[in-house]
Amino acid sequence: MKKLFSIFSIVALLAVAAGANAQEKDKAPEKAAAEAKAEPAKAEAKANEKKEEAKAEEKKEEAKPAPVPNKGDVAWMLTSTALVLMMSVPALALFYGGMVRSKNALSMMMQVFVVFSLVTVLWCVYGYSLAFTEGNAYFGGFDRLFLNGTFDPAKGEFAMAGTFSKNTPLPELVFVVFQATFAAITCCLVLGGFAERAKFSAVLVFITLWFTFSYAPIAHMVWFWMGPDAYTDPKVVDAMNAKAGLIWQWGALDFAGGTVVHINSGVAGLVGAYVMGKRIGYGKEAMAPHNITLTMIGAALLWTGWFGFNAGSALEANGSAALAFTNTYLATACATLSWILGEAIFKGKPSMLGAASGAVAGLVAITPAAGNVGVPGAFVIGLGAGLVCLWGVNGLKHLLGADDSLDVFGVHATGGIFGALMTGVFNSPSLGGPGFVSDWVTGKVTTAAEYSISSQLWIQFKGVALTFVWSAVVAFIAYKLVDITIGLRVPEEEEREGLDITSHGEAAYRI
Amino acid sequence: MKKLMTVLSMLALFAVAGGVGAQDKDKAPEKAAAEAKAEPAKADAKTDEKKDAAPAAAEAAPATPKCGDKGFDCNKGDVAWMMTSTAFVLLMTVPGLALFYAGMVRSKNALSTVMQSFAIFCVVAVLWVIYGYSVAFTAGNPFWGSFDKLFMLGEDPATAVAATFSKGQYLPDFVYCMFQLTFAAITVALIAGGYGERFKFSAMILFSILWFTFAYLPIAHMVWYWDGPDAYTTAKAAEEAGAHAGFLFQKGALDFAGGTVVHVNSGIAALVCALMLGKRNGYGKVAMAPHSVMMTAIGTGMLWMGWFGFNAGSALEANGGAGIAFFNTLFGTATAGVAWALIEWIVKGKPSLLGICSGIVAGLVAITPAAGFVGPVGAFVTCAIAGVVCFFAVTKVKAWLGYDDALDTFGVHCIGGIIGSLGTGTFVNPKFGGTGVYDYVANKVGDFDAAAQIVSQLWDIGITLVWSGGVAFIIMLILKFTIGIRASDDDQQEGLDLADHGEKAYNY
Repeated sequence: MKKLFSIFSIVALLAVAAGANAQEKDKAPEKAAAEAKAEPAKAEAKANEKKEEAKAEEKKEEAKPAPVPNKGDVAWMLTSTALVLMMSVPALALFYGGMVRSKNALSMMMQVFVVFSLVTVLWCVYGYSLAFTEGNAYFGGFDRLFLNGTFDPAKGEFAMAGTFSKNTPLPELVFVVFQATFAAITCCLVLGGFAERAKFSAVLVFITLWFTFSYAPIAHMVWFWMGPDAYTDPKVVDAMNAKAGLIWQWGALDFAGGTVVHINSGVAGLVGAYVMGKRIGYGKEAMAPHNITLTMIGAALLWTGWFGFNAGSALEANGSAALAFTNTYLATACATLSWILGEAIFKGKPSMLGAASGAVAGLVAITPAAGNVGVPGAFVIGLGAGLVCLWGVNGLKHLLGADDSLDVFGVHATGGIFGALMTGVFNSPSLGGPGFVSDWVTGKVTTAAEYSISSQLWIQFKGVALTFVWSAVVAFIAYKLVDITIGLRVPEEEEREGLDITSHGEAAYRI
Repeated sequence: MKKLMTVLSMLALFAVAGGVGAQDKDKAPEKAAAEAKAEPAKADAKTDEKKDAAPAAAEAAPATPKCGDKGFDCNKGDVAWMMTSTAFVLLMTVPGLALFYAGMVRSKNALSTVMQSFAIFCVVAVLWVIYGYSVAFTAGNPFWGSFDKLFMLGEDPATAVAATFSKGQYLPDFVYCMFQLTFAAITVALIAGGYGERFKFSAMILFSILWFTFAYLPIAHMVWYWDGPDAYTTAKAAEEAGAHAGFLFQKGALDFAGGTVVHVNSGIAALVCALMLGKRNGYGKVAMAPHSVMMTAIGTGMLWMGWFGFNAGSALEANGGAGIAFFNTLFGTATAGVAWALIEWIVKGKPSLLGICSGIVAGLVAITPAAGFVGPVGAFVTCAIAGVVCFFAVTKVKAWLGYDDALDTFGVHCIGGIIGSLGTGTFVNPKFGGTGVYDYVANKVGDFDAAAQIVSQLWDIGITLVWSGGVAFIIMLILKFTIGIRASDDDQQEGLDLADHGEKAYNY
């Protein structure tokens, strides 16, 4: 462990030094570029007055000084980011912590807490750059290592990131931290698949590998594009599209991370459950959640935080955010009700654990759909998700035969797949959805007549399938690598005693 | 149960199918409107130089207000603040209120108490979108709105707007609808304190649905519905607009964030439930101490935090009014916490954690109707009185009268709400540092009539008490003689966690 640590710190130091160097080199050309831009802008402004009236309107926009971020947008995105932080620590830690046995409660929370911190650091070092800079269709580049170039202290200038409206930028640093919380929670979600038996050091190494080779590329494939302001002219559309991520090019819709976050993490969790094997005594002794009240607190905080997750993904404080907000509310409530109704019918009693799981199922399913469907869509997706995921954690779980301890696959992957496919259906304007922008040059939105549900469904399916396979393969290789080198699972006697004492030397409760 | 399921799913299918159909029909006029709108916008730009053409363009503008149009501005700062506030109010119910209540019951009922908050929240959220928002917040008669916005159909999320309290300032309607949803949901969840530890789960859900429909919606409509400030252009227009408003709004009652709509309303319903259900088995004979005061304290903290969304969000804008409400929510609440702890120390000999938590909630309740209307002095006096009076209500009055209001919803919310509402009527007076009542025709603060304002507040309190209490009584009576309301003796002995939900809160 000590060796590992020293290697890490040396690598980190080198990287910092390299990053600092790179930053200074970049400065000069950037400055020149900025000045060069200013010149034509002025010229255009003057020429503008002499031009014909009809064209005056278009030209006016170009003559305006560079757009500044709207303070309302910035306020909302900062709030959203803090809300998503709350989803992982403490919400997810409590949600998972309450579901394990009391001898593992503390280690579960510890894993969430530390993985969140680890991924945040990796995100700022290279993750953001890999996911959200120009590269090829699968990976980004290394332009933003150490967030290089997002802030120029000499001039006090901040780089801007695009939103989904033209001339409406957001400081890139806000986008960086917002996306950091997404990367971190996705990695934390995986932990539920192999709870109560993984070695702490193995968890950290695995997460580092999986984050690098699965989360970052999938985020790039689904979400990276050049932004609305790049689409200035019909001529550049093809060139700009070619620079975007692969799944984005296909046209798959994923508002806030149905594929990137939920299918991705759910599949990795399931693979983990297979590779690690079942917990000792699984199926023979009771493994009831030790504190469902904790789980409920976690679920409720997840719900609150999810408004940042979904409505924040609009990147602006506008109507699209409002729609995402509404759907996040409605679908979650619907899924909770359908889950407990299903339980009451098939099992006899509606349970609190069921209500909490139903809420999470609804949140997961509405994630890809949030700003992409109308209210009827949210209603159907919510009701459906409750029942589909109820099956996911009962029937499907028995079929799969893995000890997916906290139902990451049953809830997140199942709900994510359901939500992603339904997004393709209910995005259609004929079913009350807002449609999608078919032409970013003019901002034209598809009409009911143009929208083809079957072809959009096929695109969604391709996105789901690629994410599923990619994440599974990367996760499998990463688990095996870790297993061969440091070993994935704790020894049997440690598992029996509980990870709290054996891995961390503490107990969650001394009552 | 299976029949119920089939019926429900049929209903859902119909609703969806109907919805789709309705939306299709709406598309055509909407498109036309959008095109029509685009035209004048261009025209506007072109005729900028020729000033005289401008009024013509303005007249040609479509009648329906749109976000971003001239005169109908949605400020992104407002939108950001209102979405934040909405998430805060969600935090008040799940988990804030759920924890606050669950900590106060015995451990065998902790989980079922949490489940009540959770289930009620979900049910009300769904009903709100289906018909609640439409009934409460569209024009109808003074007591009941209309069904124009069922399921939010025909609303374009990008352009549908709701009024704020400033002329020309609008919010996306979807944001306003969600903000108000959280209010409806927490109000119904609050009642749980009155019937804690003994209400059958199925009957509890039915009660919540009926009470929400026949008490919450009409009272919210009566107190809060109006045409918005832009309708008040002239004295005549104001009179006309006034006739559309809710009954108590017309009476001039002031309720900033729900002293009557939320607190008096739920508090009196809780008392009726407590009386109709009877006492818990063993009440007064066996100890029923809170099983985790720590949990109650965490819940209180989250309630306080979330209440900033509740009160300061009720300004509907990120402006000075929200600032006053925020200030009072912090200052008034602390005052009530201190007052409760002090009086408890004097009367009982020891200040308790449960006491200061109750005092904080009493203060939050009392400042709710007053938040954006009174100054610091008003907040101080109103909340200090609330802290002391609510203390006596839950310790002395409850014991004298002998009702089992298990978690003191009546004592804290109803009594605190009444004090707050009267405090609002008194301290909104500009003489005491209040804001006064704004006259939207003259566009300035109007003359203040202290006596008339108190009469208005009394109307508000009286109608709410009678209406909500009456509705709750009738519903409980019907349920009592149909499916039964009280958990059986065995179930109460075993605890509702296992009896109703088949789970235990704790497995250490």
